[in-house]
Amino acid sequence: MTLEYIPLVFMLVFGFGIATVFMYLSEILGAKRSTKEKNTTYESGMTPFKTARDRFSVKFYLVAMLFLVFDIEIVFMYPWAVQFKQLGSTGFIAMMLFIVLLLSGYIYVIKKGALKWD
Amino acid sequence: MAILLTILFLPLAGAFLLMLVNKKEAKVIQYTALAISLATFVISFSLMAHFDSNNPNFQFIVNIEWIKQFDAGFRIGVDGMSLLLVMLTAFIAPITILSSFSAIEKRQKEYYVMILILQFAMTGVFISLDIFLFYIFWEIILIPMYFIIGIWGGKDRLYATVKFFIFTVVGSLFMLVAIVWLGSYVGGTVLHNDAGFTTNFMVIQHALDNQPIPLDIQKWIFLAFALSFCIKVPLFPFHTWLPDAHTEAPTPGSVVLAAVLLKMGTYGLIRFNLDLFPQASFYYAPIISTLAVVGIVYGALVAMVQTDMKRLVAYSSVSHLGFVVLGIFSMTVEGIQGGIIQMVNHGLSTGMLFLLVGMIYERRHTRDIAEFGGIARVMPAFTVFFSIAMFASVGLPGLNGFVGEFLTLFGAFNSPFLNNWSYTIVATSGVIFAAVYLLWMFQRVMFGANTNPQNHALKDISKREWALLVPMVVFIVWIGVYPSTFMKVSENSTKALVNKLYEKKFGYKPYALPASTQQKANIKN
Amino acid sequence: MGIELQYLLPIITISFFVVTAIVFDALLQNKIFSFVWSIIGLIVVIGTASYTFVIPSLELMNLSKEGLITKNMVFFGGYASFFDIVFAGAGLMTILASRVYIKREYKELNEYYSLILITVSGMMLIGHSNNLLILFIGIEIMSISFYVLAGYFRNSIKSIEASLKYFLLGSFATGFLVYGIALLYGATGSLDLNIITSNLIAGKFNHIYFLLGSGLILIGLSFKVAAFPFHQWAPDVYQGSPTVASGFMSSAGKAAAMIAFIIVFKHILPAVNNPVLIKDTHLIQNIIAVLAACTMLLGNFTALAQTNVKRMLAYSSVAHAGYLLIGIASNNSTGWTGVLFYSVAYILMQLGAFIVLSVIERNEQSNLELSDFAGLSRSHPILAALMAVFMLSLAGIPPFAGFFGKYYLFVSAVKADYVWLTIVAVISSIISMYYYIGIILQMYFKDPRSVALEADYGLARIPLFIAVAGLVIFGVFPSLLADVAYYFF
Repeated sequence: MTLEYIPLVFMLVFGFGIATVFMYLSEILGAKRSTKEKNTTYESGMTPFKTARDRFSVKFYLVAMLFLVFDIEIVFMYPWAVQFKQLGSTGFIAMMLFIVLLLSGYIYVIKKGALKWD
Repeated sequence: MAILLTILFLPLAGAFLLMLVNKKEAKVIQYTALAISLATFVISFSLMAHFDSNNPNFQFIVNIEWIKQFDAGFRIGVDGMSLLLVMLTAFIAPITILSSFSAIEKRQKEYYVMILILQFAMTGVFISLDIFLFYIFWEIILIPMYFIIGIWGGKDRLYATVKFFIFTVVGSLFMLVAIVWLGSYVGGTVLHNDAGFTTNFMVIQHALDNQPIPLDIQKWIFLAFALSFCIKVPLFPFHTWLPDAHTEAPTPGSVVLAAVLLKMGTYGLIRFNLDLFPQASFYYAPIISTLAVVGIVYGALVAMVQTDMKRLVAYSSVSHLGFVVLGIFSMTVEGIQGGIIQMVNHGLSTGMLFLLVGMIYERRHTRDIAEFGGIARVMPAFTVFFSIAMFASVGLPGLNGFVGEFLTLFGAFNSPFLNNWSYTIVATSGVIFAAVYLLWMFQRVMFGANTNPQNHALKDISKREWALLVPMVVFIVWIGVYPSTFMKVSENSTKALVNKLYEKKFGYKPYALPASTQQKANIKN
Repeated sequence: MGIELQYLLPIITISFFVVTAIVFDALLQNKIFSFVWSIIGLIVVIGTASYTFVIPSLELMNLSKEGLITKNMVFFGGYASFFDIVFAGAGLMTILASRVYIKREYKELNEYYSLILITVSGMMLIGHSNNLLILFIGIEIMSISFYVLAGYFRNSIKSIEASLKYFLLGSFATGFLVYGIALLYGATGSLDLNIITSNLIAGKFNHIYFLLGSGLILIGLSFKVAAFPFHQWAPDVYQGSPTVASGFMSSAGKAAAMIAFIIVFKHILPAVNNPVLIKDTHLIQNIIAVLAACTMLLGNFTALAQTNVKRMLAYSSVAHAGYLLIGIASNNSTGWTGVLFYSVAYILMQLGAFIVLSVIERNEQSNLELSDFAGLSRSHPILAALMAVFMLSLAGIPPFAGFFGKYYLFVSAVKADYVWLTIVAVISSIISMYYYIGIILQMYFKDPRSVALEADYGLARIPLFIAVAGLVIFGVFPSLLADVAYYFF
């Protein structure tokens, strides 16, 4: 039984080992030239115009969360669509239930104005 | 049987009835409560009439299934020992209610409901033949008593009532653990019945007779029960709640507390501790008897220095109950019978003393002995009644106190279990002290010059108060002159118990019981 | 399959009403509709649950467990139906008592009623779980709705604090629970509780993972019932939440977590003659017993020092978690039945007491100090009498149901040879007497304060009546409940 775990141990050892070694190698061997651009915050090549530590609207969180819900739904939809014939009526009923539940949540979200930006 | 159920449930039904009455109708409430308690008392005579005093076993047994899973049933019945106490309860209740007419002025409806519930539970304690049922009645008593002291009591009533409640609960909850253990031991280990548990008293009695609990455990179970009962009695180091509760309770509350509630403790000692745990009783008898004797002397000495009449009577209770406990733990027929009769006596004479103190308190609104003097001139009838109650309490031959005290002392003197004269010798001094503190108080209150102007115009006792006191005097004299009316009732039950104790300790039965009744009662359920 | 749907009816109906209630919340502005709809929903759930209670059990119907839609993940009938009724009933009492309170204290919002419904559905799912995943889902549905309910008064700082505290600590405890479930899965190879039991009996389990997993589950569940040493959140949360809701959380929520306890520990502590397993079983039982003892003592001692009645009841609810744990530590059928009985009694008395508080509470938690109760029996005799009954029952004085519940648990502990636990329970009961009768003392023996309290019952009369009637009836005739509960285990 313990033999089964040997590959895992190898993976752990090599994984950690290689990462550590490379990190320190680049630190030791790499060139160090500090310029002004290099010290600024990385924002996809844009020039930062104010500090990143700022409060921003809670609506971003709300949208992000709702996005997650409707995003995850695909995880169920996709395999069901692929296996539609094999799953038969049971799968259909289950999926319909799922969609109805999701729909009622969607109605709630819209009616409560969670998607309104202003 | 129907009589016992009626005696038990009539007061409860009365309490429910009173709840329906408009609270402004004070007179209606008072007389309804009185009528109900009088009816109960009258019915209790038919219990006495139908009771077969030759039979030492339980009679009038009612057995109704209640909680099957723990084999707890609604099982009631009386034997000679409990019958007297049931009668006492039924007798004291109307007296209490009648005396409340003047003593209780506010929230009358709640009060009479509480008193009737109290009567229901007190009767239940004495007639339960199921330990679980017994415990329930035992605890229910706390609720009305807590309210009676707390709402209608004196100045320090809050302190007194909380102390009363906590003291009692401490004892009874440990008893609960012992009950649970006992039920599980008898039902599971000894009998292996369906529930694996039983609280049927007669079944437990029978099972433990054949297969006693191992002594080291029995001692703990004994202590758990004894703690609860000794707090209620109260035995010497557990007595501190009593003076406070007695002093702060309203007069009827004190009467019922002294006359009946304290007897629950001594009754429990006989019914449970002696009967179910004989071996542990032998072991602890010297210790408990010592505490009883200490209580007798201590109560008397402390009573001597009291300045408050009610507190004095309260401490005299500690002393008197010491005699009862001493008699019980002498484990002789004389001692136990003396204990039982002394319970009744104490109920009558101390109850009467509390009533009398209450009467004078209603007139003068003080109980301070120093405030009085020369009362005999203005209240001659009162003085006569007071002297009767006092002499009964002191133990004057011809009145009831003498019979009880003599028998308990005699029992303790002769007891092969205690086997020591010194208990009796010390306890006898308690009788002398009782004479000292009571007579001294009587002299200071009744005789001498009537110097305090407030005492000049005191009214002598009214017709209602006559009605309260005369029945008590009747019984006081009756027991004093012809005690065998009452002794006969408890004789055979006591003998059966003492036979059992002798057999466990010495291997023989000293008393022959009427032959037809020797077989065990029907213990199937 | 059709028969199985009958068994699922309570779950189906509650889900239906939860979903519709949410949609109606969004579509309709009329609050009374939402209120009525939730009441109808809960009554229907009680009806369907009673129906599943009387139809014959799955075994009698000869259904193979593999053929079920629910794949044996859900338990039907028996105690599950029993608790469906209990939780739906508790939800009903809460909703009835809430309306007047919520309307008076704060602006009424629709979501309150649907939140209670969601909570009830989570509790019911816990009772129905036959699989650790279902159990987990049930616990989470319940807990998350509780986090929201605690913070329902969003303008009150205390309420928000309660909610945040509850959420942070609660999710932390959930982590323990999930980790424990995972380890138990690793140790026994299944999430199905029956398979776990049979694997344990067969000796097919990893000893260390099993102990670790059960320990972590114990921690997670202890948090949910607020047992020592995971109880610190309880007083703040119960005090800060809307009064009726905290009554609901601390009674029905606790009962639901106790069911989770029963379901898990009944299965992972089987009574068999496997020497390794017996040692582990005893170890876990002893740990639970010690937790129970500490919980009772600590809860009661701390409650003693409180002057705010709501906070006092919060601490007393900690102590009651300890009493309930006695039944789990005993690990016998008497204990589980005792927990069932005591849960019902506890829901009645705790919820009742909180409803009384909600009736006299004014302006965000004022009128809840002990001194505010002075002389309540004069101004509101009925309210005072109700509160007195609840207090006496919580203290365990006969003839109320709380006493018999305690008796039941004590018997189970003595049967399991935990006499010391009984003694600790008794000692802590004695301590508790002091503050319970302290409230009665205030209400009956003290003079009323100068400004009389107002009482505004509204529909709260109905749940108060149910609570008192239940306590008295089950206290005098405990067989009515105990006999029903007896055949479950």
